[in-house]
Amino acid sequence: MKLYISEGNPHCIKALAVLELTGVKCDIEVISHEEKVVPHLSRPVSPALLLPSGTHLFSPNSICQYLYDVSGQAATDATSQWLEWEATNLQPAVLQSLHMVALQGKRVEAAAVMKEPLNWLEQSLSKRSTAFLTAEVMSVADVVLWAALYPLLSDTSFEAGELVRCWFGRVDSLSACRAAAHRILQGNEALKTFLQKHTASLSPRRDAPANT
Amino acid sequence: MALRELSSLERFLGLKKPNKYSTQGGKKVPVLQNNNGPALIGLVTIASHLVHEAKRAELLGDSAEQRAVVQQWIEHRITRLDNCSKEEVKVILKELNQYLEDKVYLAGNIFTLADILMYYGIHHIVVELAILEKERYLNVTRWFDHIQHYPGIRHHLPPVVVLRNRVYPNGHH
Repeated sequence: MKLYISEGNPHCIKALAVLELTGVKCDIEVISHEEKVVPHLSRPVSPALLLPSGTHLFSPNSICQYLYDVSGQAATDATSQWLEWEATNLQPAVLQSLHMVALQGKRVEAAAVMKEPLNWLEQSLSKRSTAFLTAEVMSVADVVLWAALYPLLSDTSFEAGELVRCWFGRVDSLSACRAAAHRILQGNEALKTFLQKHTASLSPRRDAPANT
Repeated sequence: MALRELSSLERFLGLKKPNKYSTQGGKKVPVLQNNNGPALIGLVTIASHLVHEAKRAELLGDSAEQRAVVQQWIEHRITRLDNCSKEEVKVILKELNQYLEDKVYLAGNIFTLADILMYYGIHHIVVELAILEKERYLNVTRWFDHIQHYPGIRHHLPPVVVLRNRVYPNGHH
């Protein structure tokens, strides 16, 4: 099994952190933003996981869930709901916000874009008494959401609710998570390069939030 | 859209009592009120829940690898296919066509929830394809035709005509 990652790509943080947390044995190869590893995809993607059968997984969340699955933690309604929310709601907002803050220096606008998803997360946490999103122990949902938010919330002055900050801090304090984040985002330059390439290769979606 | 899919899925799964759904937000994300716990939100989450309820877990894949592949294609549908731009549709079709070159179903040789939800999500695109485009995306068309003829799947969607004599030039498949 082999995990392909590239520097500066925040999606790779979650895969790398999960690999360390689950202890699944797997080779890691660092590739450039231009390198194509998944044969049927026309654009380069990372992370990608080459499975023993020769199949490639190209979705970051499916890679994370797979690694948890093979280490004995199957998906539940609660974890799959968080993963779905992350992919459909959180990611588009994070990408837009990151673009504003890292490339355009628009901090106020970047915070405004994140307001709705961060409020939703704050509300969800307020309805729970557990330390993590789905239970007293960490699940795939915590790693996936933490990694998505890391590039924004690792800046302690970025506006977020108290419960979100506490939860984020709990996940962020794990050395596996820290190490993964540092390895992928060494300095701001790698992230900037990723963002420039990523937004250039994507045509705007019809449901993309308005760029105000 | 999502609600009709879910009710078609319920019928395919043979669930006796239809569930009541509501939607949330501007994107009309489906919500299932659950008597035994918190509400479930999101197409993938609810669809997977229904599959478990019907005791058809094999539709989510039989192994960790298959489960990941199924999950991945469903995610692909909701993150890339849904609401994508016209230009992006061409890329998605091209990639899917290449992926399906040596496969019967999205997860290989077994029929899964990925085929069902991808079929529901791509139907409005395949309906619009001109004959020449159907020829260009031959593997997608073949897979699509296969799924629309799978017992109990089509329900709320009209059948799409594919020219079998050109798709299957030797008259068998």
